[in-house]
Amino acid sequence: MEINILTFGHITDITSKAEFRISEVKDTDELRIKLSELFSAIRSIKYSIAVNKKVIQSNTVLTNDDTVALLPPFSGG
Amino acid sequence: MAEKKIKKTFIEGTITPEFIGDSIAKHSTKMDIGAHSIFLGQVRNDVINGKEVKAIEYTAYIEMAEEKFHEIREAAFGKYSLTCMHIYHSIGKVNAGEISLFVFTSSAHRKDAIKACEEIVERIKSEVPVWGKEIFDDESHQWKVNKDH
Repeated sequence: MEINILTFGHITDITSKAEFRISEVKDTDELRIKLSELFSAIRSIKYSIAVNKKVIQSNTVLTNDDTVALLPPFSGG
Repeated sequence: MAEKKIKKTFIEGTITPEFIGDSIAKHSTKMDIGAHSIFLGQVRNDVINGKEVKAIEYTAYIEMAEEKFHEIREAAFGKYSLTCMHIYHSIGKVNAGEISLFVFTSSAHRKDAIKACEEIVERIKSEVPVWGKEIFDDESHQWKVNKDH
């Protein structure tokens, strides 16, 4: 099982890549833990998660090839 | 008068006064309009720790942002009696003093246009995945944080 990760804004500065794949995470809670292990600086950032372009409000099960976006607080306008 | 197709909202670089003026002029043929409301967001030269912001570089999750803009448009058309509505947001670099957001609503009478315009701006600020990177005069940067006022 592999998912596609997109990063934006401040989070791209931390991961140094805008897109990468990650495997063996069954839901978004697990993904958050894994990301904290991979990129320790991400722990200090508040971010929301969009699964296939929809922002999720609670832990969400992931399936193969889902696109998961890591969204720091928006600052458009 | 809901619009079904997803319109393009992002404009590379600043939104010029000429573009805004042309947009207003195009409405002179729609004579059922009695009121326009316009919001223009301008890049401010904040001074943070002694360094001045000289530009904001905008990036976005374009695919999701276009869907959100569409949703915001549909909701405003559903809630208010609007004749037309236009939303433009900059992507890329916009210098301090230049315009980066243009929201333009039109209706027969003023209250629909004014209320819709305000609501659209607030929703854009809180729901659309766009990020502004504030670039200082010494080329260092920080990520902008939107305030709720």
